[in-house]
Amino acid sequence: MAFDTQFLLILISGLFTSLAASLLGAFVVVKRMALVGDVLSHVALPGIGLALLLNIDPIYGAAVFLLAAAFGTWFIEKKTALPPEAIIGTFFTATLALGVILVPHEELFESLFGNLFAIGFKDAVLIVSASVVIFILTLLLARRLTLGIVAPDLSKSAGFRPDFSYLAFLLLFALSVALGIKLIGSVLMGALTILPAVSARNFAWSLKSFLIFSVIIGVIITAIGIIISNVFNFSPGPSVILSGIVFFAASLLFTRK
Amino acid sequence: MPARWARRRCFWNNESRIMNSGNHKNHNHAKTEHANPILDVRDLSVSFGKDEVLKGISFQVKEGDFLAIIGPNGAGKTVLFRALMNLIPYDGEVKWRANVKIGYVPQKLMEKAELPLTVREFFVLKSKNLFFKDKQIVNSIFHELKSVDIGADILDRQLINLSKGQLQRVLISWAILGHPEVLLFDEPTAGIDIAGEESVYNMLHKLQDERGMTVIMISHDLNVVYRYANNVLCLNKERLCYGEPSQALTNEQIKRLYGESAFYHHLH
Repeated sequence: MAFDTQFLLILISGLFTSLAASLLGAFVVVKRMALVGDVLSHVALPGIGLALLLNIDPIYGAAVFLLAAAFGTWFIEKKTALPPEAIIGTFFTATLALGVILVPHEELFESLFGNLFAIGFKDAVLIVSASVVIFILTLLLARRLTLGIVAPDLSKSAGFRPDFSYLAFLLLFALSVALGIKLIGSVLMGALTILPAVSARNFAWSLKSFLIFSVIIGVIITAIGIIISNVFNFSPGPSVILSGIVFFAASLLFTRK
Repeated sequence: MPARWARRRCFWNNESRIMNSGNHKNHNHAKTEHANPILDVRDLSVSFGKDEVLKGISFQVKEGDFLAIIGPNGAGKTVLFRALMNLIPYDGEVKWRANVKIGYVPQKLMEKAELPLTVREFFVLKSKNLFFKDKQIVNSIFHELKSVDIGADILDRQLINLSKGQLQRVLISWAILGHPEVLLFDEPTAGIDIAGEESVYNMLHKLQDERGMTVIMISHDLNVVYRYANNVLCLNKERLCYGEPSQALTNEQIKRLYGESAFYHHLH
């Protein structure tokens, strides 16, 4: 196993990315938006394409498109009776079409499944600091978001604004997907968000234990996945996801219902 | 059945008669001389698109009142509650006394089986604090659970594992946490056994006596209305009757409100 700088940068950025993604993922699963996350992750494509054309960092391109889609979803959901998955599905098809036109073929595949770009020191700093911010904001949002999910009317009657916590949540989710693009690709980022939470849910007995286990599992599967990918020379994305699947299978043995 | 609680406030009788004859202005004037209402609703209308769900509803609630709101399914009872709490846009006037604190008991929570929330965590969600422990809430949880007659061992159970009756009590104690002056109580249509229901009303009454709380309740049980409410509002998109139950709730009114079949059902 080669402990070169590139490996360390990937490992560290990966761990922090998963820290933020797996905490958000707990709420994604609870809000029944698991597939929404998956779909949202494709929205990044045209952003990546444009960024490549304009020669800027693809994370920024992806982030702009993801944030716009997240805000658009929230806005349209507020104005119509459409469920979020249908709205994001609409964004997704539009952006996928744009993405296929904008992103060169070989890079299209890699931006979906990761391993496209080398992680530089600057990237690692960006990913780590943004992940820490997302993680903290999500923690601060947790109570409001949960009450908004269980009982929006109770939340409003207590003087809170559940629609704003939902918007904040969507934007954080979009940002976290953007962060994962270089590392494990946009498709697999959706999976990294969900997998720790579904495993954790199987044996959680409270909200707190659910969130803690989700984060711990996220960090563990990312570490294992990245180390294995380095040893066998896979790309880290699929390897992280497969280790997540193993955890999920194991969690089925401990299911409390 | 004698309306024990309603009788206590028999001065309502005359007023409600005036009310039924449709003479709003005199009525309101007479009442404000007794006490400032805690809630004054005038000409409240709510529309969803082209559907007018509530039309020109007016009523007043005074401190310590127990107002029952009754009406068939789809009459707009819950919509009225949501308008009172300013959760939906409406026309007309909803005037609460300044700085009044309102507790709300919804019919049910969304069935979110994927959320492993415990009763304790559910209480903490009411905290204004985003992250840190809220000592005030933690301390009052026990006190509130006691007032709804449930033991503290329920705190570590998950919300989704509670029976309907237990959940209702938890929702009530959640609502009265922080001692609101007014309780809006949306009674579940079904699913709680009679014995359980009985004690919920007694409990509400105890709370009302101890804390001087005002209760506005959506009810599906006319017996409850006669027994506990000192004022009733019959609703079917518009106001069909309003006043002291034994006066306002005539057989005619009940028939108008629920139709023949329900009328017989309720009297048996």
